[in-house]
Amino acid sequence: MSLRRRILGAAAAAAVMTLAACGGSAGGTRGSAFQGVELSDGAARPSFTLTDTSGRPYDFAAETAGTTTLLFFGYTSCPDICPVHLATIATALETQEVALPDVEVVMVTVDPERDTPEVLRRYLDRFDPSFVGLYGTEEEVAAAQRAAGVTEAVDEVDEEGEPTGIVGHAAQVVGIGADDVQHVAWPFGTRSSVYAHDLAVLGQLVPGAAAP
Amino acid sequence: MVVGPGPPAATGRERLTRVNWWCTAIREPWSWTWRAYPGVWIVLLSLLVPYVVAVRRRAATGRPDPKQRRKTIQFVSGIALLWLSLDWPVGLLGTSYLASVHMLMFMVITQVAAPLLLLGTPEWMARRITAKLRLNRALRKIARPVPAGILYNIVLIGTQTPLVVDALRPNPVGSMLLDLVWLLGGMVLWLPLVSPLPELRMASYPGRMVYLFLAAAALPLVPGGFLTFSSYPLYSIYELAPRVFDGLSALDDQQLAGAVMKVGSLPVVWPVIFVLFVQWANAERGGPPPRVRPPRPPRPVTQP
Repeated sequence: MSLRRRILGAAAAAAVMTLAACGGSAGGTRGSAFQGVELSDGAARPSFTLTDTSGRPYDFAAETAGTTTLLFFGYTSCPDICPVHLATIATALETQEVALPDVEVVMVTVDPERDTPEVLRRYLDRFDPSFVGLYGTEEEVAAAQRAAGVTEAVDEVDEEGEPTGIVGHAAQVVGIGADDVQHVAWPFGTRSSVYAHDLAVLGQLVPGAAAP
Repeated sequence: MVVGPGPPAATGRERLTRVNWWCTAIREPWSWTWRAYPGVWIVLLSLLVPYVVAVRRRAATGRPDPKQRRKTIQFVSGIALLWLSLDWPVGLLGTSYLASVHMLMFMVITQVAAPLLLLGTPEWMARRITAKLRLNRALRKIARPVPAGILYNIVLIGTQTPLVVDALRPNPVGSMLLDLVWLLGGMVLWLPLVSPLPELRMASYPGRMVYLFLAAAALPLVPGGFLTFSSYPLYSIYELAPRVFDGLSALDDQQLAGAVMKVGSLPVVWPVIFVLFVQWANAERGGPPPRVRPPRPPRPVTQP
């Protein structure tokens, strides 16, 4: 075999291996049915009560029980992470390619001071009018974050200690199955195709079933 | 997790991050704050300055080209369009935020800027460049309609593949490479029609019209269809970019990009086909004769 052919053969093999590697899971947990990060601790659907954008109390565990739910903590002035997450989720929910379950998307504002019910509603309507927006006092929101097991949000300050208007918050969306267990988390950068895939997997869960 | 841009007043470090070699994909909310891309200026000046110097030197020798004024306008227009496409804000919008602007950049560079640069290059200059770079033989092969059409469409499909765009756009060198390949691809597409070297141009008017329609208008319908009818955003750069306009989702933007790919060349292709048709009709009626490929000189016969 000539040197040229050997080089070409090695390059082709490398290309095939690269493509094979690219075709694997998109950043998900190895061996998991999910392409997002699988949560294996089996934490239950978090329980907290806040207020929805129509001003009614919203008992998260009771209102979403038995439903595939996406829970996200964010705020409407967020310049990048929140709008991208919500937009990719909205795109995933519109897909016709896979059979998706009924999904409840709930966003809890971590900036209750600026995110009035009207602001929050108007913001969510830009993505999908069915998205639920919740707000509460700072203590209530902090308790909700603790219940969901995510890092509590903090107001960012500049070098002089002045607030910047930016809120540092957990960037992941938590996926809860119809079996009322937290199964998966999607970090920032998750694409709509990944959401659609994982929502279809979550949709196969029924109360009392084993994890996928 | 720290979220969002810095405070409104730019610090020294932030001002530095607003200078980059070339427009690259960034993960920041869109802002109308000006950014500098010196690589774009350097590359464009490296085309413009030698052109102006060479044209002035030629004029000083007392052999002025009567069409030079028009050619200079065409060349400078091509450079200006390249600058508008590659520099802030269009360049940044196209590399970081909107697939539709990315596609618009491709169309402007390949369908307008590239032919203008070719039209603006005088024959004597093109001969000097091709001789210096020893491109004569390669150009003769590439400038035939079939290889040129295939090459252009390889560039079109290859450089619009999500894997390629997502890999090259975040890197200044990769991003520059992508834009330069677009420019070269556009030049290859237009060589059989408006090459500065008359012997590279196609002789037949109907052939030119069919070539332009197939290469620039018909074949791009296929990849354009993929973008238009995909269920998900294909490019991660544009899908995960902060939105520039409310209501224009990443999928809408991609569908718009597909539409631009499918019909974006038509405002150029159809007027050019119309002009070619009129020229053909004139030639048939005995008007000014078409510029035909001159016969090849006979090969010298070598004695063994």
